[in-house]
Amino acid sequence: MSRQRRTLVPWLFILPGFGFLLLVGLYPLVFTFVTSFERYHLDTIYLGTPFVGFDNYIDSLRSSLFIGAMLRTGFFVLVALPVEMVLGLGIAFLLDRPRNDGLRAFTRVILVLPIATTPVVVGLFGALIFNTQFGVVNYLVGLAGIRPVDWLGSPTLAMVSVFALQVWQWTPFVALVMLATLATIPVEMEDAFFLESNSWLKRLRHIRLPYLIPGLTAAAIFQTAYMIKLFDMIYTLTRGGPGESTDLISLQMERLSFRAFDAGQAAAESVIMLVVTLVLSQLYIRFFYREPEA
Amino acid sequence: MHIRSGSGRSLLAAALSAAFLLGSALSAFAAGEREAASSANDYQGTTITVVGLDRPSYAAAQKLTPQFEQQTGIKVNWAIYPYESTLKEETLNFVSQSQQFDVILTDVVWPGVFGQADWVVPVRHFLDNTALTKPDFDMSDFIPIWLKAFTWGDKLLGIPFDSYSGLLYYNKAMLRDAGFSGPPKTWDDLLNVYAPRLTDRAKGVYAFALQSRRGETQSCDAFARFLWPWGGEFLDPATFQPEVTSASAKAGIEFRQKLLQYMPDGIVNDDHGEVVQLLAQGKVAMITEWSSFYATLVDPSQSKIVNDLGVTTEPAGPSGAVPAFGGFAYMVSSQIPEKLQNASWLFIQWLTSKEMAKPLIENGAVVARISADGDPANQAQYPYLAPMVDSWKTTTDIFRPRFPEWPQLSEITSNWGTQIELGQVTVDQGLQNISDEFKKVLGDAGYYSGTKPKIE
Amino acid sequence: MDVVFRRNKDPAGGKGGTTPPMDTRIPRPARAGSSRDRRRILLLDALHAAGLVVVIVLALFPIYWMVSASFKTDNQLFAVPPVWLWKPTLAHYGTVLHDTNMMGALANSLSIAGLTTLLSLLLGVPAGYGIARYQFRFRRDVWFWFVSNWMIIPVVLVIPYFLIATKLHLLGSRWLLVAIYQTFGVPLAVWLMVDQFRSIPAELEEVARIDGTSVFGAFIRIMVPLALPGVVVSGILVALFAWNELLYAQALIPSLASRTAPVVALTFLGGYEVPWGDVMAAGTLIVLPVLAFAALVSRYLVRGLTLGAIK
Repeated sequence: MSRQRRTLVPWLFILPGFGFLLLVGLYPLVFTFVTSFERYHLDTIYLGTPFVGFDNYIDSLRSSLFIGAMLRTGFFVLVALPVEMVLGLGIAFLLDRPRNDGLRAFTRVILVLPIATTPVVVGLFGALIFNTQFGVVNYLVGLAGIRPVDWLGSPTLAMVSVFALQVWQWTPFVALVMLATLATIPVEMEDAFFLESNSWLKRLRHIRLPYLIPGLTAAAIFQTAYMIKLFDMIYTLTRGGPGESTDLISLQMERLSFRAFDAGQAAAESVIMLVVTLVLSQLYIRFFYREPEA
Repeated sequence: MHIRSGSGRSLLAAALSAAFLLGSALSAFAAGEREAASSANDYQGTTITVVGLDRPSYAAAQKLTPQFEQQTGIKVNWAIYPYESTLKEETLNFVSQSQQFDVILTDVVWPGVFGQADWVVPVRHFLDNTALTKPDFDMSDFIPIWLKAFTWGDKLLGIPFDSYSGLLYYNKAMLRDAGFSGPPKTWDDLLNVYAPRLTDRAKGVYAFALQSRRGETQSCDAFARFLWPWGGEFLDPATFQPEVTSASAKAGIEFRQKLLQYMPDGIVNDDHGEVVQLLAQGKVAMITEWSSFYATLVDPSQSKIVNDLGVTTEPAGPSGAVPAFGGFAYMVSSQIPEKLQNASWLFIQWLTSKEMAKPLIENGAVVARISADGDPANQAQYPYLAPMVDSWKTTTDIFRPRFPEWPQLSEITSNWGTQIELGQVTVDQGLQNISDEFKKVLGDAGYYSGTKPKIE
Repeated sequence: MDVVFRRNKDPAGGKGGTTPPMDTRIPRPARAGSSRDRRRILLLDALHAAGLVVVIVLALFPIYWMVSASFKTDNQLFAVPPVWLWKPTLAHYGTVLHDTNMMGALANSLSIAGLTTLLSLLLGVPAGYGIARYQFRFRRDVWFWFVSNWMIIPVVLVIPYFLIATKLHLLGSRWLLVAIYQTFGVPLAVWLMVDQFRSIPAELEEVARIDGTSVFGAFIRIMVPLALPGVVVSGILVALFAWNELLYAQALIPSLASRTAPVVALTFLGGYEVPWGDVMAAGTLIVLPVLAFAALVSRYLVRGLTLGAIK
């Protein structure tokens, strides 16, 4: 087989998907980029869309709502991700322990359910269980002697509620990823280690962690992207409120697009966010993730 | 119908039309019926889509719609949306020219958006069409402020329906138990005299609840309500400079902050539904809400205070009573074929007619017809009507501006308004931010360069 | 990857009398010596079981609460303390099925999710194969470009998609959604399939090639069947995300009759009062098919979620 042919063959496989994504994905991206330099109001589109240079970018970076939403999203990822990781790892260890086989198999099935639950619906039943007057969370908290609190009405507690539902839905994902990752550790490695030390913590650090890193990284990339995109669940739970206290980036941009109809600034914010996520994912991949080597 | 001499056919036509005229002179009502029916026959089998909300007036309208369908043969599809996404759905409908909706629901703050864009057909077009509009469709019977509110430029764009004023609803029993014989007349009394005695945090009972959720609820119900009665306003009508940092505006918003201590926690997340429920369940003593909630509050399946419900005008502020002003109108999309436009008008005409006013009110709707709202018998039966009519006399049609930039200003107001309410920014700082951001939006829109007419 | 296989092999087995030091945290069944040790292991087993039960309860409770609320009357729903035993009512389901086009919406969602999945696999599986099995310039860039599509925030693209759909008169078409959903479907499939194809020994394909099978013949007849677990898993995940999607479906399908299930669920929230029972019934109707599906295919799904993690 000639070298020429060898380089062409993979493209024959890749091109349909590549071309289709380009077709579907490129136009809106170019559109967004162009719009970000225009004054573009959807509701007064008939007045024209003049070029305004970097105005939209300056407005975005000076907008306390956008900066606030970015910082809030960053904070959310920084808190939720480690919690999901620790809890997920814990559940993975439970599932990996070689006893109670039936229960373990059942748990594995059950863990799939939160992941599969429609996020819109998660927000809906979230609003029910966190309701101040008749929510079951307040009832359970009340059993512990704590006065009913207004979960969705207080800025801090509303964020806690969003956070709790996010962790509920996606910790199982981390757990299942980690469970599979644990299985990649060669048995001999662990057995050899038993001969030298019986410290569980040491075993975790020296033997298991190196094997766990790829799984943790994959889960982290997946979850970071997911949380940056997080919209549906918060939309039905709090709509970003009260005030702007649960306004993550997607919610803020949705309101800018469809309540203020300011597509120009929304586009500028999008471009900024795109750069941020691409840099972030490159960093993740460079530092942790092994790219596919042939 | 043209009459020319010398033609037997024309003579016959003349005779027929003479007979018709005679008939209509004898009974204007019957003639109207027949005329509408005859013109509507042309629309047999037409389907129109009407935008509505999940609120009592639309439930009433939906319930009575089969009557219209039977009379005209026009099929009516109701497209029900949450208020907060209605403007988005309708704007997307117009921008995409998808002709999804025929009968357009317009909040009192959107005529500028729809009017400037020519997305709706001015009402005059249909009123001038005598084949389409009944002679007894009495335009002078609509409350004047409502016709003014839906006029953009010099054109009336829609017919008011589901027209509210803010009212003070209160729990008579709670007020009586606290030693009050009647509701407060002023906001000062409400705060200083009534609120302390009606609030018992330990029991979870509060004097007042203010719907404050971010969105139009915050900018109208929770913000504008504390602007006007204190002498504040959004903009100087002459210069369009923001007026929200004026001493009177500050006084109003600071008053709102003081009132918060007599409201349940988490009020900033509450919308109309939650606040109405707080009153209906006996958890708060007073709310200021739209007239449309009367229907909810006297419905025994939703309210525990049916017999204790009191309703009166909103309290007055230092500069008098300026009750909240809000409500809707139905308009006809300009993007649909003429036949659908006419069918849409027939529907609007039917829904807002004098004859339908009473049945609509009985089914829980709010209408803007003087003959119905001002009727003593109706007022005796529906105690919200009298204070509502009174409120419309003292309020202003620019309670919120209705130019195309309002959606943006509303966003700004509601963002900072909720943050002020939550104590995340000071009143001064929040109002200053609103003012700065208003200036930017209005400047970008061209109001300060002198070319654009300053219409609120 | 295969947990059961690894653990079934008794680590102490075959080593005769040499007993390794006792691991006190993770008990190994074959090594229980004294009765004190046995008791301790029983205790640990009990704790282990308790931990699993806690996990199960936490994972299930919110879903259970929604489903149970959908069968309660309003009074039972608002009761404090909550009602745990009651005579179920079907009234909310009646309302939902009568007042909204929920069945139609579920059918719309199903067809959109199905078509999306099919197309994503058609496009993503070969692309994953090309990236996994060949060395060529820009290979890593191509991979990153595919995967980075997953990072794009959908809100960003709603307005551009809306405007182009308007121009092309595609607004309201389910094919529009199917096409747009490829922006997450293809990256997901590529990400998983690259790992799947790389886990298949190269020799298998080479043997086939020596036998004279063409490149594409080998791909379709040898590689795809071998990679079937990955294909199934990619399909399941794409279907889940397509079924659950809200933003595009909401903005790009204006016609009430063609709306998808998550969009219809939102319509309950617009009134002055949230009809909690109806909302929970609608939620149950939307979620139940996916949950049943997910539970049925959980073995594949577990494997799919972990494909990206394991090399």
